[in-house]
Amino acid sequence: MATINTIAIIGATGNMGSAIAKSLSKPGSYRLLLMSNDTDELAQLYSQLKEPNTGTEIYSISCAREASWEADIIIVATQNDAEKEVAEKIREVATGKIVISISNPLNSAYRQLITSSDTSAAEELQKLLPNSKVVKTFNTTFAADFISSVIDEKTADVFIAGNNGDAVKTVSEVVKSAGFNPIIAGDLSVSRTLERMQLLRIRYTMNNSYNWLAGWKILHN
Amino acid sequence: MHERLLSSIGSKIALNETAMNKLKQFFIPKKIRKRQYILNAGDVCQYITFVEKGMLRSFTVDDEGHEHVVQFAVEGSWISDMASFLSGKEALYNIEALEDSEVLNLGTQAMDDLMHQVPGMERYFRLLMQNNIIALQRRVVAYMSLSAEEKYLKLMEVAPDIMNRASQQHIASYLSITPETLSRIRKQVSNKK
Repeated sequence: MATINTIAIIGATGNMGSAIAKSLSKPGSYRLLLMSNDTDELAQLYSQLKEPNTGTEIYSISCAREASWEADIIIVATQNDAEKEVAEKIREVATGKIVISISNPLNSAYRQLITSSDTSAAEELQKLLPNSKVVKTFNTTFAADFISSVIDEKTADVFIAGNNGDAVKTVSEVVKSAGFNPIIAGDLSVSRTLERMQLLRIRYTMNNSYNWLAGWKILHN
Repeated sequence: MHERLLSSIGSKIALNETAMNKLKQFFIPKKIRKRQYILNAGDVCQYITFVEKGMLRSFTVDDEGHEHVVQFAVEGSWISDMASFLSGKEALYNIEALEDSEVLNLGTQAMDDLMHQVPGMERYFRLLMQNNIIALQRRVVAYMSLSAEEKYLKLMEVAPDIMNRASQQHIASYLSITPETLSRIRKQVSNKK
């Protein structure tokens, strides 16, 4: 029996954070550390997840550093503009660990990215956490997809980008465990494309007033 | 977070500030809760683990389901399944935290890189391995030739801290005696005082 990896979700009570937490709370997959500054919402999420999954080790922690210290894998699920602050807090304890960047650096109107074309949110996070293995994933996924990863009878693809082969492999398992089809897209700089893909889809969804249960799927024969 | 590690290394080799900052980057800091496992027998042991705080034990489980404690590790000591770590083969040991603990994990690649990049680390690990061999030899000899009471007194002498912190059951298992024998020896020894 392999030891179970511990995943800390920083910003667990947010839209994406809670969706990811729910999808990973199945017994036997992972130990989950839920972290949020909002202690009331955190307590609520904790009991919501703990009750139906008594076989899963789930803890709520109100400190990002503590949660990351105990984790093997850290998912930064805060708003993009809070990432710098989180990175400062967790830098030392995240040494050698996988840090998952899920964010899209959108402007307030969701119409543009605030990063220049020669970088990405993931690469910026990597600069802030030079001793961690930053991996981009779940950024092309809407929160609603975690409840139903099968859309139009197809399992949605989730793209993964990172520089460390072992880390990318481990994250593929996380993606699979959340119910999606993992696709390894390339090194961390591919995040530039992945973040723009999501911008395209958000604009498309908003322009057409579509609902948020939608995903990417590469079709081939 | 790295205090014990730095003093352990610093006691064997000269470390300047640059080397100290450099070597921290190779270790993965982990908090572990009491009763949490960091290695299960049958997996490959990926790290050698330095204990900054708390206590862990390595143990095997025989065919009849009996546990045998191989080693206790407290602050300032290392624990791993060395054979598995070095060979990449399946581990024989389980490693469990006996207290809430803080550890620093060093992977195989990181260990290699560390030895290349920080002067003196090769010497540190050589000394560590030497001490390991000495400890192992002592343990084998004790197991083969000492009486239960002698083994108990030896452990009291070299690791009184472990005697106070570990459970009677685990200490008995470490000494390869039954908890009843351990309790009898304890009484005898305290009566002699």
